[in-house]
Amino acid sequence: MSTSKRIRLTPGQLMVHLGLLLLVILWILPTVGLLVSSFRDKDQLAATGWWTALSTSVQNGQGRTGTSEQMVETGGKFVIAGNLLDDSKRTILTFNTNFRDLTAYKAGEVLTFKDQSQIRVEADGSYRWESEQPIEEKRGKRIFFVAESPPTFTLDNYVEVLTSEGIGQSFLNTFVVTIPATVIPITIAAFAAYAFAWMRFPGRQFLFVVVVGLLVVPLQMSLIPLLRMYNNIGALLDVSAKSYVGIWLAHTGFGLPLAIYLLRNYIRSLPRDIIESARMDGASHFQTFTRVVVPLSVPALASFTIFQFLWVWNDLLVALVFLGKGDDQIVLTSKMRELLGSRGDNWEILTSSAFISIIVPLVVFFALQRYFVRGLVAGSVKGG
Amino acid sequence: MLDQVLDATIAVIIGVSSCLLYFWGTNLLLETLVRDKQTANGQIESRDELRHAIRPWLFVLPALSLLFTYLVYPVFETVWLSFHDFTGERWVGWSNYTWALANPEFLQSIGNNFLWLLVVPSLSVVFGLIVAVLADRVWWGTIAKSLIFMPMAISFVGASVIWKFVYDFRGPGSDQIGILNAIVVGLGGEPQAWITIPFWNNFFLMVILVWIQTGFAMVIFSAALRGVPKETLEAAQIDGASELKIFFLIMIPQIMSTIIVVWTTITIIVLKIFDIVLAMTNGQWETEVLANLMFDWMFRGGGDSGRGSTIAVFIMLAVIPIMAWNIRKFREEEQGR
Amino acid sequence: MSMIKQLTTKGVFLAGTALQSLKKSTTNRLMNTMLAALATVALSSVAHAGGHSAYKGPDLSGQTVTIAGPWLTADEESFEAVTAAFEKATGAKIEYAGSDSFEQQIVIDIKAGSPPNLAAFPQPGLAANMAAIDGLVPLGDDTAAWVRDNYAAGQSWVDLGTYADKSGKDQFYGFFYNVNVKSLVWYVPENFEAGGYEIPKTMEDLIALSDQIVKDGGTPWCIGLGSGDATGWPATDWVEDIMLRTQTPDVYDGWVANSIKFNDPRVINAIETFGQFAKNNDYVEGGTRAVGATDFRDSPQGLFSVPPKCYMHRQASFIPAFFPEGVQVGTDADFFYFPPFASKASQLGNPVLGGGTLLAMTKDSPATREFIRFLQHPMSHEIWMARAGFLTPHKGVNLDKYSSEILRKQGEILLNATTFRFDGSDLMPGAIGAGSFWSQMVFYVSGASAQKVADNIQNSWDSIK
Repeated sequence: MSTSKRIRLTPGQLMVHLGLLLLVILWILPTVGLLVSSFRDKDQLAATGWWTALSTSVQNGQGRTGTSEQMVETGGKFVIAGNLLDDSKRTILTFNTNFRDLTAYKAGEVLTFKDQSQIRVEADGSYRWESEQPIEEKRGKRIFFVAESPPTFTLDNYVEVLTSEGIGQSFLNTFVVTIPATVIPITIAAFAAYAFAWMRFPGRQFLFVVVVGLLVVPLQMSLIPLLRMYNNIGALLDVSAKSYVGIWLAHTGFGLPLAIYLLRNYIRSLPRDIIESARMDGASHFQTFTRVVVPLSVPALASFTIFQFLWVWNDLLVALVFLGKGDDQIVLTSKMRELLGSRGDNWEILTSSAFISIIVPLVVFFALQRYFVRGLVAGSVKGG
Repeated sequence: MLDQVLDATIAVIIGVSSCLLYFWGTNLLLETLVRDKQTANGQIESRDELRHAIRPWLFVLPALSLLFTYLVYPVFETVWLSFHDFTGERWVGWSNYTWALANPEFLQSIGNNFLWLLVVPSLSVVFGLIVAVLADRVWWGTIAKSLIFMPMAISFVGASVIWKFVYDFRGPGSDQIGILNAIVVGLGGEPQAWITIPFWNNFFLMVILVWIQTGFAMVIFSAALRGVPKETLEAAQIDGASELKIFFLIMIPQIMSTIIVVWTTITIIVLKIFDIVLAMTNGQWETEVLANLMFDWMFRGGGDSGRGSTIAVFIMLAVIPIMAWNIRKFREEEQGR
Repeated sequence: MSMIKQLTTKGVFLAGTALQSLKKSTTNRLMNTMLAALATVALSSVAHAGGHSAYKGPDLSGQTVTIAGPWLTADEESFEAVTAAFEKATGAKIEYAGSDSFEQQIVIDIKAGSPPNLAAFPQPGLAANMAAIDGLVPLGDDTAAWVRDNYAAGQSWVDLGTYADKSGKDQFYGFFYNVNVKSLVWYVPENFEAGGYEIPKTMEDLIALSDQIVKDGGTPWCIGLGSGDATGWPATDWVEDIMLRTQTPDVYDGWVANSIKFNDPRVINAIETFGQFAKNNDYVEGGTRAVGATDFRDSPQGLFSVPPKCYMHRQASFIPAFFPEGVQVGTDADFFYFPPFASKASQLGNPVLGGGTLLAMTKDSPATREFIRFLQHPMSHEIWMARAGFLTPHKGVNLDKYSSEILRKQGEILLNATTFRFDGSDLMPGAIGAGSFWSQMVFYVSGASAQKVADNIQNSWDSIK
């Protein structure tokens, strides 16, 4: 494109840039919100929107004074003193004992009670309650205040979910499910794909058509019979019906049609000469496959590996049906769903655990995007 | 912690190596058992033929038996179960089907699934096309595509958390922490509990899937558009055709088959949509869909395999035309080879 | 619940350190003697609590009673403290086995013909199923009569423990031991004082108070139905509580068993009464649309915000676990009994909704019978009362034994009860009580009419018959 042309098209080009920019912002905004929120202090996260994360937030709060037990007598006066804030992050702006009018007294001012005793609350939360007579206060007076806190970012949320919420364990469990459930189907599919592509055996064409048909069979058609079958086997052998082996095999079964289809198409497209010259040199099919075909098929194997890895890592349905919900088996997606149910609006927990659950797929994705795209294109442009 | 990592590693190694062991072991077995024989008169009798007949089966047998156990047999079993009661033992004829067709929840799911089928594939395709075309025209197109493609890597549950946060609702007067309500309030509106507003909440759930699938559509279209002959485009430009005209009259027809493929792929995903509905509403507020309803019946009150299977059969029925079309297309391609 | 448990654990810990320092201070004999004297007083007060004499049983040396139940960890320790007292008094041996899969295990054991002597069922439905296959041994009319006379709302407890055996004959099987209450309204006492509000004694007062709070510019209620997959269940407790306050227990039982249809006008009326609270934009924090969208665990937070977003929250006794950090139950928050309608009080009295575990005999033996008699002695209740997580309707116990003021107040609610009913949704078939009842209540607060949702629930009930 020549320079003159570019200048001539400026208004149009500008529209293109702006339009695309708008779409990109729209697309990443939700994820950015999640990421920013997961690093915010949990009180601030619950009180203000993540887009205000960098500004000072103003929140209402309350504290309780000491009781008569903490009262001391100094200089003829009875005094209860202490600090209303349990942290040093906040600064009190205004305070009152009545929550209906929080801005009645500025920090440093003195509030006089009906009994003529006086309390002064400083910006740092320290207070001094003085009276001529002994103060009668059994449970401590509530002081309401408006305080501001500077933006705070923390790793606390991550520490919490990784330790006490059990996300760390389910992170491991997810790996235990995902790695074999990726490697096993690709191994099995590669051998089958080679057979379908270059070996002769009766029924080859028919069987492959079946594989093509199975590409689109919904998972839902398999769940109930398999659940029953697993339960029966479990009862028969007196073992748990929910096991890692069970889910590896299930993911393998569900992933095989696409794996065989993609790999067979790729292996079939390898030059016939290469296969045949290897055979001429006296290599068996097993040797041809392992020494010639596999090295040549690395791109196809890689794209399916990524595909299957993401699919298994992100799967919820299969995990719900074939794995238990105990700490030793629950995977991240399943755990996330439990947290959505049990931790409701605890966004500090939800955002940080969601980020932990998506970080691995994101890294895999950005590192190997090229292969992933190639696999997708091969899978859908060719066949569907 | 170290224990757990160790256990996990051992489990992974056992799982993976036993698979590899099969192929290596059966090959070894074949080589030793079916060895070339030396006959009595000293001649070597080649048994290549026999090995050739057996080996393909060793290669495809694991795949075929898994496919049969996990996909072929269950399909027939599900159909069989759909004619049985909740225990799967007593034949009940069509009664699960008549129950389904009279059940308001089921009918609502059918309606919602239709809505999803109309909206999600079309919006994903439209946005995918727009991004694919726009991104080809700017220097930072690759980055833009990467970012829009990113949601593809996120699980449906993760995406649900992300969007639940977007839709978060606080009562009027409180600070909104969900960005959608913050915008609405900023513009002077009333905050809404988006996912609880019947009918419209379906669209708020669909947005999540569109958000994920647009990246997929875009990547495929991007590849297909690169295949449109440059000469055709340049010729049209010389003829003075406008950008829009080129897009609609040349590009779209050129990649039409790709559009259909993308459309059907997303259609299949939509038919099976489950995680998003489960995580966002669990079918409440009239957002039920078939896959979630099926899951519900599979476990609800001890599980009803009859009704669960019946709902699965309905999902299957919707997929069969696509399956037939796939097979036909594959046959044509094979003959063309 | 867990908060209460933590508090008690702390108490035990403190007692432990006191004992250690006691051992160390051997030099100070005076101190030593004083503490020892105090300890003796404390021990004897356990033995002679409430003026009744300590339990004395027959000599059962050499006999063993096996018990299976759902109690684990702290509950298991508490129950073992109870059984230890029995072992000490009789010489019998008690073997308790707690399991988190108790409900599956007991069915297997009974069907296999190898049950324990006693089973502690967490809800009556399963016990009734076991009675129907003659898996339980009747406790006899004497025990039933004892429960009727000595438990507050005694007839209710007898009814809840009475099931049909295989031949269809009603027999008394279930002895309730360790119960909980749901009909509680939580509030912040100081917010009530600030507004000059009194604790309402009748439902009419409660509604008047709600109106008064609205008039003063506040919002009376926080109601949240959200609970992930189980969204909607908090509304079922409301409806059940209102059913008990507007209809006789017979109607409630008929409704739970569906002999009275779900779309009966009396049930619809209860749903609509709930609607008076939940579907009134002025009454609920965030307005009606927030009711379905707010998680039940977050819902009580509004009580404690500044200024308060609401003044009252109806929920069972477990809810303090979800109060904000640092809230002291008793000081910062308290509860009152969800009151009955004054207009119906003479007829319905003080009904209480709740749950509880019942002991049923699965294998007869003299020692087992004696253990049931032991459970009728106040001591067997007071030992657990002094720990945590235990309430009892036994009228003979000394309320001072409760380990906290909060538990004591809940215990009083039980003792003042004239009717006790089990959480109805737990007794309905799963597809209703853990299915359509939940989801249709969500549908109701999001706009549907009570008639419509009641029809829908009845339809789903018909479809599983």
